[in-house]
Amino acid sequence: MTRMPFPHLRRRLVCLVALAMTFAAPGAHAQRLLVPMDDAQTNHLKAYGLTYNTMKAGVVAEWLLNYRGGSFLLPDAPETRRRAALDGISVEPVSDASLATLRRELGGGNMESVPLEKAPRIAVYTPPDAQPWDDAVTLALKYAGIDFTPIYDTELERGDLTKYDWLHLHHEDFTGQFNKFHLGYRDAPWFRDMYAANSATARALGYPHIPALKKGAAERIRGFVERGGFLFAMCGATETLELAIAAHSVDIAGQFNDGTPVDADADARLDWKRAMAFRDAHLERSPFVNSMSDIDGHQVNVPGRRQPLGTFTLFSFSAKIDPVPSMLVQGHRNVMNDWYGVTTSFNKSTLKPGVVVLATEEGAPWVKYIHGDYGKGTWTYLGGHDPEDPQHAIGNPPTDLSLHRSSPGYRLILNNVLFPAAKKKPLKT
Amino acid sequence: MHRRSERWRRGAVLAALVVVCTMPATAQESVESPEIMRAYDLETAGKYREAALLFRTALRASPTATALLGLERVFAELRQSDSLLPTLEALIVQRPRDPLYRTVQLRTLQILRRDEALRAAFERWVLDVPRDPAPYREYARVLIALGRPVLADSIVQRSRDALGTAHDLSMETAQLRAAQGQWEASAVAWRRALSEQPYLASAAAHALAPTPVGTRDAVRRVLLAGRALGERRAVAELELGWGSPQDAWDALRIVPPDTAVASAWAEFGERALGEEQFAIARAALTASLAIRRTPELAIRAADAALQAGVPSDVALLLPLAEVAGDPERLVRDYLPLHVAALSALGRPSDASALVERYDRALTPGQRVRMSRALATAWVRTGDLARARAALGTAGDADSSEAAGWLALYEGRLGDARRLLRSSREPGPALASALGVVSRTRGDEGAALGAAFLALARGDSATAIARFVQASERHPEARSALLLAAARIHAARGEETAAVALWSQIVGTMGESPEAAESELEWARALRRRGDVRGAIARLEHLILGSPQSALLPQARRELEQARRSIPSP
Repeated sequence: MTRMPFPHLRRRLVCLVALAMTFAAPGAHAQRLLVPMDDAQTNHLKAYGLTYNTMKAGVVAEWLLNYRGGSFLLPDAPETRRRAALDGISVEPVSDASLATLRRELGGGNMESVPLEKAPRIAVYTPPDAQPWDDAVTLALKYAGIDFTPIYDTELERGDLTKYDWLHLHHEDFTGQFNKFHLGYRDAPWFRDMYAANSATARALGYPHIPALKKGAAERIRGFVERGGFLFAMCGATETLELAIAAHSVDIAGQFNDGTPVDADADARLDWKRAMAFRDAHLERSPFVNSMSDIDGHQVNVPGRRQPLGTFTLFSFSAKIDPVPSMLVQGHRNVMNDWYGVTTSFNKSTLKPGVVVLATEEGAPWVKYIHGDYGKGTWTYLGGHDPEDPQHAIGNPPTDLSLHRSSPGYRLILNNVLFPAAKKKPLKT
Repeated sequence: MHRRSERWRRGAVLAALVVVCTMPATAQESVESPEIMRAYDLETAGKYREAALLFRTALRASPTATALLGLERVFAELRQSDSLLPTLEALIVQRPRDPLYRTVQLRTLQILRRDEALRAAFERWVLDVPRDPAPYREYARVLIALGRPVLADSIVQRSRDALGTAHDLSMETAQLRAAQGQWEASAVAWRRALSEQPYLASAAAHALAPTPVGTRDAVRRVLLAGRALGERRAVAELELGWGSPQDAWDALRIVPPDTAVASAWAEFGERALGEEQFAIARAALTASLAIRRTPELAIRAADAALQAGVPSDVALLLPLAEVAGDPERLVRDYLPLHVAALSALGRPSDASALVERYDRALTPGQRVRMSRALATAWVRTGDLARARAALGTAGDADSSEAAGWLALYEGRLGDARRLLRSSREPGPALASALGVVSRTRGDEGAALGAAFLALARGDSATAIARFVQASERHPEARSALLLAAARIHAARGEETAAVALWSQIVGTMGESPEAAESELEWARALRRRGDVRGAIARLEHLILGSPQSALLPQARRELEQARRSIPSP
């Protein structure tokens, strides 16, 4: 496993923890509400929304890392109780005396309290006409009751990214090749519509073709992270964003997409120094093979190469020393069944040194969940499309999260949404 | 992606089964050799090695399809499919143009996952019969089954280039287009395939079922362009699956009738009956009966008519002549249907006369059932004395559930409680009645009895008034009685009146068990009217105000749907 020490973040968090302890001193608040996140919780996903909206109302929450599945501690307020009751979220009143005991317990084990101060402003990179059910993150945000703003190429071009703290990308293909779906779907109405809409946007924004448009988008996203933004990507966006960034001066798109074949020496000319997570990956040049590169370990759409789904395990980090990766892996299950996506996993051989591996499959050459710093910001990549639809196919019905209220996979997504709330404050100081 | 592959495979297997089922007709005409018959027995007994020996011997003597397919099956069971390959090679050398050997060869190589050998076998086959669509068709099928649509598509394209048409690969094209999400193109190809192979209707419906809502009209337009049975059956199956039973029947009913169409209508009617679409079942079964009369069909049609609320049809659909020659069927099917119909029509005297006519043929059990049916018939007319007399003839007057209902109608609440609680056949009506009766105090309740009696007679307007009156006399069960009245209002489409009662229950009897149910119904009514904000307010009030209610999970789910934070059904 490759890890980063996060010394600067640790120092800032120590200050924040001290601040939280001050607020939590006896007498400051009569009572708190503990939102347990172990098996006592009846709706884990809504609990994130409750915490987020508490912060949004200007109230400081606490994330109790590794305590009962990563519980939350909220001030006891009528509105909080009301929301919890409406959404079926389990909460437990905590008296001042119990709180002192709880804090002693936190101090004595691999646990930590992290204040959550400011609700991050959230943007999701998604086409304007996309159904929310197409994307696991928008599904989770909608279900949890967390507000977000959909943005796409026009907004990126306008510089709107500066308005947001957290950006999510889902299954966009930033190489501009639509995940090579033209192989099987070139005559499908939805594919034709998508192609036409993107071509029109490219023309309107002055790009010669879709691959150039998407390369421009990738560059703006890279800049967003470099300047201190939080990026969370899943599925094919992880792999193609990195390929597009590395290919800033190389043509890696097939003839169908930009009218010219892939540059003959494209592989050798990829500039991995600019990429965030990967290095030395090799392009899949054939337009007839439904794969982008050798970054993905599972290759779900290439019959001869497809690897079966296994189970992956979340790493256990030291909550006091490594609070950031700890936040990202909070959960009530640490072993999960894997799920497919256009990009399901990341081959270890393509990871840059310093990348923090958050989850891996034992004995497999790939990992599932990775994180790292880039410039002043951070990125987190989670492979696969939908944690509760492991064999997801185009046209499948949307996942109904009210039937998966305690999904451990969806919790990983929502961990990412709250994590900037803990980090944003130190960045400002 | 992967799940889609599964769907093709299931579709392909279904289609392949259909095709295979049509093939053995020739084989069945010839008398099988003793070796083959013995091999069948051994195969059935699970003795695959011994069966393989006999199939192989038979194949050497005469290379029939039966022997080859038998050998293929048992080798597959033994996981020795590769042992079939040398035999197939020898047979192909002998008869290079025979499609059966080639098809089995492709299938075997598919099972063995020998992709290169599979491709080579296909190419050799094309060389041997360059103008024949069979190699393209069979190889495309194999590729679809393997979940390789892009390659399958290229083979279909190649057949078009080589033969000038892909007409013979319509089904494969249709499956491919569906697998690629090209629903309209798939429908066009299915239509072509169905014009020659109408038995593929189920396969077509299966393949087209995942069509997204926005594209379904295009699929409908394609398949409804003609009136051939195959296409229409495919649409009917699709519409049933998509939750539009009336559209399903509309698609099927205009096919020019013949006996095959009559069978299709009867089959459709049975399915509609199973899904409790009684009016549509009645229409389909009646249409079928008009072309091809059988006693069984007449009984099913009469049953559907009765359940659809058209009891007058029973006499027309199931006349005595239909079953006169079969006394057992007469008392088992004809009699209950006609008694129930006469009861529904308010003709208890005719029902009594009918039962009396066949009384001697009834078993004791049938006699009890008939007396209860007659009692119900009398209750419908309000004649409780004759209803009791009807029960008395079967010795049922003081002990049965029917007696409990009679007691309730007469306002004898104590007897009603005792008799209804002892019922062995609980149902929604009984649960509802017990829910009210068990909440009342005292043994007498004429007003309450009158309310239930009006309901039993189908006089819903009077029933509402009586339930409201009874709620004044029985304050201990006030909320339950008002909720009963509200339910009847809602069933009559009088939503405003229902909302008035629901709001009264919620507002003035908030602690009662009926408050949560009233509020849920109220919220649903508001959503139906498009008042989503009002519905959300009601649901939130329910959740916060009745935290112990068993309806909370349902209320939360409907709150999510109203907020659009989960997909609506």
